[in-house]
Amino acid sequence: MARADVAVVGAGLAGLTAAIQLAEAGARVQVMATGHAATHWAPGGIDAGALPGSRTSLDAVERLARLEGHPYAFLADGLPDALAWLRSALGAEGLDLVGELTDPLRAIPTAIGSTRLAAILPDGMAAALPAWTAGETLVVCGPAGFRDFWPDAIAAGLRRPSTWRGHPRPARVEALTVELPGLAGRHNLSSLDLARFFDDPDWRATALEAIARALEGRPQEPGRIALPAVLGLHDHPAALAAARERLPLAPFEVALVPPSVPGLRLFAALRATLRRLGGRLQVGEAVHGVIGADGRVAELRAPAAAREFVLTAGAIVLATGGIAGGGIVAERAGSLVESVLGLPVDGPERGDWLLVDPFDPAGHPLEAAGIRTDVRLRPVAPGALERPLAENVRIAGSLLAGQRFLRQRCGDGVAIASGRLAALELRGSGSAPRSAAVVGAGREARS
Amino acid sequence: MDSMTGRSGLPRTVDVLIVGGGATGAGLLRDLARRGLRCLLVEKADLASGTSGRYHGLLHSGARYVARDAQAARECILENGILRRIAPACIEDTGGIFVATPDDPDDYVGAFPGRCAAVGIPCAEEPVAELFRREPALNRGIRRAFRVPDASLEPWRLVEANLLDARQHGSAALPYRQVVGMERNGGFVAAVSIADVRSGTVERIVPRIVVSATGAWAGRVAALAGVSLPMSPGKGSMLIYNQRMTDSVINRCKPPGDGDIMVPVHTVAILGTTEIGVDDPDHYEVTPAEVEALVEAGEALFPDLGRMRILRAYAGVRPLYMPAEVAGPAGVSAGAADREVSRAHVVIDHEARDGVSNFVSVVGGKLTTYRLMAEQTADAVCAKLGVDLPCSTADDVLPGQVAGHGYYWLGHRLAEHEAAGGGDATLICECELVTRPALEGFLAERMPCSLDDVRRGTRLGMGPCQGAFCTFRAAGVVAALGSAEAPDAAGENAADARAELAQGTLVAFMRERYRGTRPIAWGRQLQELWLSTGIYWGILGLDAFEPATAELPIEVGVGDGPR
Ligand SMILES: Cc1cc2nc3c(=O)[nH]c(=O)nc-3n(C[C@H](O)[C@H](O)[C@H](O)COP(=O)(O)OP(=O)(O)OC[C@H]3O[C@@H](n4cnc5c(N)ncnc54)[C@H](O)[C@@H]3O)c2cc1C
Ligand SMILES: Cc1cc2nc3c(=O)[nH]c(=O)nc-3n(C[C@H](O)[C@H](O)[C@H](O)COP(=O)(O)OP(=O)(O)OC[C@H]3O[C@@H](n4cnc5c(N)ncnc54)[C@H](O)[C@@H]3O)c2cc1C
Repeated sequence: MARADVAVVGAGLAGLTAAIQLAEAGARVQVMATGHAATHWAPGGIDAGALPGSRTSLDAVERLARLEGHPYAFLADGLPDALAWLRSALGAEGLDLVGELTDPLRAIPTAIGSTRLAAILPDGMAAALPAWTAGETLVVCGPAGFRDFWPDAIAAGLRRPSTWRGHPRPARVEALTVELPGLAGRHNLSSLDLARFFDDPDWRATALEAIARALEGRPQEPGRIALPAVLGLHDHPAALAAARERLPLAPFEVALVPPSVPGLRLFAALRATLRRLGGRLQVGEAVHGVIGADGRVAELRAPAAAREFVLTAGAIVLATGGIAGGGIVAERAGSLVESVLGLPVDGPERGDWLLVDPFDPAGHPLEAAGIRTDVRLRPVAPGALERPLAENVRIAGSLLAGQRFLRQRCGDGVAIASGRLAALELRGSGSAPRSAAVVGAGREARS
Repeated sequence: MDSMTGRSGLPRTVDVLIVGGGATGAGLLRDLARRGLRCLLVEKADLASGTSGRYHGLLHSGARYVARDAQAARECILENGILRRIAPACIEDTGGIFVATPDDPDDYVGAFPGRCAAVGIPCAEEPVAELFRREPALNRGIRRAFRVPDASLEPWRLVEANLLDARQHGSAALPYRQVVGMERNGGFVAAVSIADVRSGTVERIVPRIVVSATGAWAGRVAALAGVSLPMSPGKGSMLIYNQRMTDSVINRCKPPGDGDIMVPVHTVAILGTTEIGVDDPDHYEVTPAEVEALVEAGEALFPDLGRMRILRAYAGVRPLYMPAEVAGPAGVSAGAADREVSRAHVVIDHEARDGVSNFVSVVGGKLTTYRLMAEQTADAVCAKLGVDLPCSTADDVLPGQVAGHGYYWLGHRLAEHEAAGGGDATLICECELVTRPALEGFLAERMPCSLDDVRRGTRLGMGPCQGAFCTFRAAGVVAALGSAEAPDAAGENAADARAELAQGTLVAFMRERYRGTRPIAWGRQLQELWLSTGIYWGILGLDAFEPATAELPIEVGVGDGPR
C-alpha cells in the first residue's frame, strides 16, 4: 500500500500546480492520472480570460469574477500570485512566459489562417504579441510536405482584414514553403518528428540556413516570420535562440493541432520540477475513492494488472479536468457522473446540454457543468453551498463548475489559481514534517 | 468535363430535362442517353446529396418485403442480381442474415423461408452455432437464422458511374442548378427556369420533355408546373457505429419496424431506421428520443450496443407518395407511416392525370430498384416522344467497375493508390486513408466545391475523428493548389478567393458534422466533441471566419449522409 500526504488526481495544469506547490511546502505528494491532460492539446500559453470587448486579460477576469457562480469570484484575487509563481517555476526550467495580465489582448495568427486572442505566451510565440506597425510584413513559412501547416491557406486567411477581429494587422502577408534538409521523401511527418529534428544542432543549422536563403530575395522590410510550433522539444531554448540569430525576421511559433509541442514542453518542465521536489507522478490508471462516514476520503484505488493499487492519503486534490479531461462523464441516460468520488455535478438537464449552433457565442450550457465548491474549494452539493461534502478534498481546474473555458478563455487561469489555492488550503491544514505526516495519514486511513 | 462541373453554360434546348441528381435521376440520364436522346440533368445541390446520399446503404435482397409486398420483393431480387453484375465496384457482398430473436413472432419466422422461395429469393437456414461463430456479437437468444443475398451498396460511386456512362453517351449533369420555375403554355411546359445557386443567375431552357426525379421534393417541383402531387415525406434516422460489430447485414425476422437492421458499410456499421413524418424535406433533426429508440431496438440484435461508440446520427427523407391512385399491392391501403406499401414506386404521366402533356414524375421506390424505375420512366418518355428504343442498362456493365472486393478492407484504398504508382503519398485523412494526390485529383475535377462535396467524393472526414484532424488540411490543399496554378501576384487574388471559400466551407463543414454528433453526444463521443471544439475554437480560432454560405447555399438539411 502506497502512502502520501496529499494525493492529486489529474496531471494537467491544475493538478501539477497544486502538486508542485505542496511539494515545495514539504508535503509528500503523489499525482495519479488516467492519461495526459489538456497540456498535450492546448497551445501552451496561459489563457487567463478573454471576452468580446475586454482589453486585457485582467478586464476579462474582473468581469468573469462578477458572473454568478464563476470560480473567479473567489479565485481572481490569487491569480496574479499564481501566475508569478508559474512564471518562475517554468523559468527555472528554461521556459519563459511573456506577457502580463494587464497587457492588451492581441489577435495571434493560428494554423488555419485565423486568429485567437492571447496576452500571455511562451517565449517562442511571443513575437506575435506586439501590435503590428505600419509597413510590417508577415511571412508565413512552413516545411514542404508537412500536413499540419499550410502557408498558402494561412497567408490567405490572414490577408483578410476580418480575420484580425479589429486588431492591428500586418501590411502584407506572404506565404513561403521551404524544402528542409533530408525531408524530401518524408510525407507524413508529425509535429513531434519535426520538433525532434530541431533538437539536433546540426540539422537545425542547415534547416534555418535553408529558410534564411529562401528569404534572401525579399525586399528589406521590417517584419516577422511565423513558423509552425516545432522549434525543438527537449532543447527548445537553444532552437529558438538559433532561429532568432539566423533569421532576418523575428520568428514566432504558431500552435498546431494536437499533439501540441509547446504543451509538451510545459508538461515536461512541470514534471521535472515535481520530481526534483520528490513528488511522484503515475499516469495510466483511473482512480476512484469513497467518502467515509467521517466525511473524509481516506484512500484512492486504481485497478492494476496484478492487483488493485491502493493509495492512502491525508488529503486529496481532484483536478480531473471536467468533460474534456474525463473528470465528468456524461452518460447516455442523461446523468453527469464525477468519475473519482461520484460527487454531485452541477449541470443542465439532458435536453439542454447542447445548443443547436455549435458556434453560438453563448456556448453550450453543458460547458459550465462541474463540481460546486465553497470558497475553500471543498465540494458541496449544488443546493447546499455551506455544507462541504468531504472535508479533506479540494477541487481544482476545469472540474470547477461555472466556467466556460473555451468561450471565456479562462481555463489556464482558473487552473493555476485553483491549483495554488488547493495547495495553500491543504498546506495550511497542518502538514507536519514529512515522516510524521505519513504516519498521520496512515492513522487517518484506519480510523 | 466542363459540362459536368457546372462551369459551362446550359444548352438552350434538350430532348429531356431531368430534375434531380439522386440515384433515380442519374439512372434515368444514363438510360435515356444510351437510347440516343440528348438529355440534361440538373441537381440543386451536390450530386447524390439528397436521399440517395442519406440512405441506409442496403442493397435489398427483397426478403424484408416478402410478407406484405411480394411485388416489391420480386423487383428487389431481380435488381439485386442486375446490380451485382453491372456495378460490382459499388457493392460489398456482405450477405444478409435474418435472425429470429426471442421477441419475434413464431408464425412470421416459420413462414419466412417459404415466402422467400415463393418470390425467388435464395434463403438458407444457418445453424445458430455457426451463426454465433461468425457473428459473435449477436444476441445469444437468437433461435433461428436465414441467409439471404443482401449486400452493402455505396451510393456516391453508383451515381457517379451512372453519370459517367451518360456523359460517355453525350448527355450532361450539372450540380448546384435548381429548377425554380416552369412556364406553362396551356397543356405544355414551354420552358424551364434554372438557377445557378452559387451565382444566383437564372437561365431558361426549352426541353421537349421534363422529368422530375426529385424524390421527397417531387411535390414542390410539380407545383412549379401547376400540378398537385401530394407527397408525405417521412424522415428516417440512422446511427453510425465506429466499428463493424457484424460482417453481414443483420435483419430481424419480423414485420419491418424501427431499428431492426444493421448494415456494415466500409469501416463502420449503420443501425436504422425510424419513420416519422416531416413537413419540410430540407429541415429536420434527429431527436434524442429517436436515438434512444434506435439503440434500444438494436440491443435486441446486439446486446452490447449500448456500450459501443456511435460516430454520428443522420437522417434521410423517404419520397413517400400517398394518393389512392398508386398502383400498390392489391387490397392494401396506403397510410403515412406504413413501411411496406409506401415503398412502391410510381411513374406519373401528368398528361393523363393533369393535362400537362410533356411532364413526367417518378417517385417512391428504393435505391435498390433505381435502375428499374429509370427503365420504366424512360419507356414512358420514349412512348411520349413516339420513339421505340430498347433499354440497355441491365445488360452493360457501368464504367469504372473493376471487380468488387468481397469484404471491405480499409487498406484497399492505399493498395489502389500504390498500384497506381502513388507511392507513399501524404495522408490527408488518416481514418479513411485519403491521400493528397487523391484529394487533388478530386479537386481538379470539381472545384469550386464545398468541403462537404469533398467528403462525399473522397470519404475525407467520415472516420472516427469525424474531420477533427483532416478538414483543415483539406482547406490547406485547396489553397496550395490555387497558388501553384497562379504563382504571380495577379493570381494571388484568385488563389485567395479559393482559400476563402475553403475556409468558409470549413465552418459549414464543422457545423454539419456537429449536427450529426449532437443527438449522440454522450460519453466518449461527447468528450471527442469537446476536444474538437477545443481544437477549432480554442487553438485555431475558427470563429473569426465568415461561413461561406452565401456562395454555397447547401441547405442545412442536405449534405449529410451515410458512408
Ligand atoms: C484541445 C483543447 C484546447 C483548449 N484550448 C483552450 C484555450 O484556448 N483557452 C483556454 O482557456 N483553455 C483551453 N483549453 C482548456 C484548458 O487548457 C484547461 O481547461 C486547463 O488546462 C485546465 O486543466 P486541468 O488541469 O483542470 O484539467 P486537464 O488538463 O483536463 O487534466 C485532467 C487530468 O485528469 C485526469 N483524470 C480524469 N479523470 C480521471 C480519473 N477518474 N482518474 C484519474 N485521472 C483522471 C486526466 O487523465 C488528466 O490527466 C483547451 C483544452 C483542450 C483539450
Ligand atoms: C432513412 C432511409 C433509409 C433507406 N434505406 C434504403 C435502403 O437501405 N435500401 C434501399 O434500396 N433504399 C433505401 N431507402 C430508399 C432510397 O434511399 C430512396 O428511395 C432513393 O434514394 C431515392 O432516390 P431518388 O433519386 O429518387 O431521390 P433523391 O436521392 O432524394 O434525389 C432527388 C434529388 O432532387 C433534388 N432536387 C429537389 N428539388 C430540386 C429542384 N427544384 N431542382 C433541382 N434538383 C432538385 C434533390 O436535391 C435531390 O438530390 C431509404 C430511404 C430512407 C429515407
